[in-house]
Amino acid sequence: MEGAGWDFDALVREHQSMVFSLAYHFLRDRQAAEEIAQEVFLALHRSRTDIESPAHAAFWLRKVAAQRSIDEARRRKRRPQVALEATPEPAAGGTPGDPMLGELLRRLIATLPETPRMVMVMRYQEDLEPAEIAALLEMPVTTVKSHLKRSLALLRGKLQRRGVGEQ
Amino acid sequence: MDWLDQELKQALARKEPPAGFADRVSRSARSPRVMMPRWIAAAAAVVVVAGGSIAWREHQGRLAKEQVMTAMRMTSAKLKHIQGRVREVRQ
Repeated sequence: MEGAGWDFDALVREHQSMVFSLAYHFLRDRQAAEEIAQEVFLALHRSRTDIESPAHAAFWLRKVAAQRSIDEARRRKRRPQVALEATPEPAAGGTPGDPMLGELLRRLIATLPETPRMVMVMRYQEDLEPAEIAALLEMPVTTVKSHLKRSLALLRGKLQRRGVGEQ
Repeated sequence: MDWLDQELKQALARKEPPAGFADRVSRSARSPRVMMPRWIAAAAAVVVVAGGSIAWREHQGRLAKEQVMTAMRMTSAKLKHIQGRVREVRQ
């Protein structure tokens, strides 16, 4: 990428937390997330002649990190290793910033099927709009919105059954 | 934005990869190893096993053919010998 006028090492430093976190929040496995992140950056290095700009590189990294993470999840068909019932219950009406509520949310998201899970990670980790997620995952915007709506409703229902969020 | 959106943003905030990650990636990119895809390795193993099996069967076939040829040569020699004795008796 050096030949195209930008620095590969700088791109890695700039986007490492984005790529690693996409895989980590999706798979909930630090080692697998690190391996995927490394593969994604090495793939970027191999494809450097196709990358047109730093913005294109960022888009490419998000897209490939998402694809690799989904592929890995489908390959392993990994399910949460700790049952939801074993998760420490946050206090009823969980307060914002409660670390136990955060952990419960991550575990609940991990139970979603691959595509809606990746939609949720992109929406809330990367703060992406549905149209941006649709472009990255190559699906209609209406499908992204539908995944978000259904996933949020599911989460609210599960949280309410645990007495969370009734304020 | 409601409380759940805020909680989800906090729960899914970016995390840093392990220390030294960027350096490891940069080093790997500068000295890329030739990575053999798993399916190529598996295919190579199948070819080796199948090739070995075929070679073994061919070897066994050659041995059997040689044994048959030796038996035929011995039978032919005995037949010639018997024919010679029959001719001698008739004369």
